[in-house]
Amino acid sequence: MVDKLSRFGQSPTFLRIALGIVYFHFGILKFFPDLSPAEMLASQTIMSLSWQWLDAHSALRVLAIFECAIGAGLLLNVFMRTTFVLFLLHMIGTFLPLYYLPEYAFKISPLAPTLEGQYILKNIVFVAAGWTVLMPYVLPRKASPEAIA
Amino acid sequence: MKKHLIRLLTAVGLVCFGIAVAKTYDKYQNTEHSRVPRKRTATTAYAGSFNPFVKQASAATSGSSADKIPNNTLEPRPVTIGPQTDDLRLYPTITKGMRTPFDLWRYYGRGASSYTSPVLPMRFEQWVSFHERQKPQLMEDVREYMSGRYNFSGEAIPGQFMSGGKPIMAGPVARLPKGVDSYEQLASMKPAEIKEQDVFPFKPIAHPLQSSAHMVFPESWIKAHPEHRRIDVDMDIPEEYLPEFPPPLFLTTHKELGDVSNGQEITLDNYYEIFDGLLTPEQMEGVKELLRPSPTTWFNHTEHRVTLEPSKGVACMDCHVNGHTNGAIELGPDSRPNMARLRTDTPTMRGNFNLMQLSSKRSIRSMDHFSEVEEYFDGDPGMQQAIGPRAVKREVTNRMADFNAILDYPPAPKLDPLMRLIPDLATEQELRGEALFNGKAQCAKCHYGPAFVDDYMHDLQVERFYVGRPEGPIKTFPLRGIKDSPPYLHDGRCPTLHDTVEFFNIVLALNLNEQEKEDLVAYMLCL
Repeated sequence: MVDKLSRFGQSPTFLRIALGIVYFHFGILKFFPDLSPAEMLASQTIMSLSWQWLDAHSALRVLAIFECAIGAGLLLNVFMRTTFVLFLLHMIGTFLPLYYLPEYAFKISPLAPTLEGQYILKNIVFVAAGWTVLMPYVLPRKASPEAIA
Repeated sequence: MKKHLIRLLTAVGLVCFGIAVAKTYDKYQNTEHSRVPRKRTATTAYAGSFNPFVKQASAATSGSSADKIPNNTLEPRPVTIGPQTDDLRLYPTITKGMRTPFDLWRYYGRGASSYTSPVLPMRFEQWVSFHERQKPQLMEDVREYMSGRYNFSGEAIPGQFMSGGKPIMAGPVARLPKGVDSYEQLASMKPAEIKEQDVFPFKPIAHPLQSSAHMVFPESWIKAHPEHRRIDVDMDIPEEYLPEFPPPLFLTTHKELGDVSNGQEITLDNYYEIFDGLLTPEQMEGVKELLRPSPTTWFNHTEHRVTLEPSKGVACMDCHVNGHTNGAIELGPDSRPNMARLRTDTPTMRGNFNLMQLSSKRSIRSMDHFSEVEEYFDGDPGMQQAIGPRAVKREVTNRMADFNAILDYPPAPKLDPLMRLIPDLATEQELRGEALFNGKAQCAKCHYGPAFVDDYMHDLQVERFYVGRPEGPIKTFPLRGIKDSPPYLHDGRCPTLHDTVEFFNIVLALNLNEQEKEDLVAYMLCL
């Protein structure tokens, strides 16, 4: 029998649920035009990323689906490996405005962020939290000595 | 089992949460913060209002005369008078300087405010570097978009020139969509079919950067006035399809002199020399004021600007160069939010003396009023503290109008005093065109008289042919001297006269054949 615990230990349930709620809540807001305060930053970044192939509306839709999927995965505790991949992609995406829209992210780059910049930079906490929550589901599981015995 | 139950309950919780957010959105849409116009029906508007008949009818007992009035006639009729926006998208959330969709006609919504402010969303240095990064890609995309819509081949109509000698471009240059072989095929389709198949080639044109918008000058002007080069956007229509620069200037008071500009651009430096002894003192003051730059929303001395260096502003005759037009574009000042404003190319001022209505949508009734509002193009008092208030007094705008009132049309030697073609001077084709103009093509229903204009605003309901926000009534444009002022329609969506004829052939269902369309163009070149 393989132990459920990986070398990263058990995934913290409360942190998983907290992350899931934030993802799902902020994600679902993006389905409704003009409701999410992150609309401008998010849509402009995705539009730049897609070489303007996506318009603001579609960009926001794509992001909403992404975030809701991550949120639902975390809350329902299903498809965690897929959720991890989506989470990683999303986290990379959240930092891209620092590159694509530096004028909106920094008063003076790189140490004086704007409010939007702080909103982006604080995602480092999300990275840490997501890593802690999802890694136990992702890395190769090793059996505990007790289980082997 | 327990795990599945928890998942099921969580999933139900998520669905409920989604519904709750949707309900919140409904509530939000009725607040002043929402950019979604409030939806309302006649039913709600009338609900609770006093209606004396309601009391009589309800108080009436059987057998009384009130029974003859059926109760249901007193009930409010549920007529939808609110927004018809089902196929439209809400304007994207952006701020000054950010890229806007090229198909802005498909969007709708309110602005956060009717007023702007002189504050940039970032420091000026950042503003410049933001545009240095954005502009090359934007202009590449603009060119790709425009060449997707138009075949700007640069082919001219043989032997046809504007009044100052610039070749006149041949058309139609609007590209036919895939699946449509000819304009005749397109014209034979019903509006609903064209809309459903999304094959209308004459959809509106938006400003290439509508978040800031404002005046964009053609390259010919920029070469002479580099202080008007913008850091964020350039003109999107090729020079060949714009009016000549500098155009000739004709005066009603001195027809014998022909072009009084002698091929020069009239400026503050040379106007005195050119006009002294020809104009009245009032007209001299008027032309000086038309040449005096005023700070505008984006051309000014503050950091809220689109030029690298601080700007003195823009004068009326920077766009209406020599009393005509250089083809510069702007947005009509008549609507908010800025993204709802229609792109307008600069109309000529020639022949304004013959117009009872000015401006594409504002129905301005006098030239002094016209001069006054045009002084401050975006008309936004939110900017006044920073760039200066409207300074021109009524007596001065009157004098601007005095000069405006003597700008004549270019010569049209083939027209008689009643604006009919002189048969001895006109070709067979031009005469056929004139007959069509006054007959089958129905042009003369709106374009008649000395200026070929009816001075009304008409709603062509062009949104019948594409999914888009209705543009509403727009003033008829005078056709006298029309060959000198391409591109056509208020936003320049018809780059040539040929395109304009194709446009009206479709929109008014005229059923013109190829020969008839050529005849009409030949006639309009005579006006």
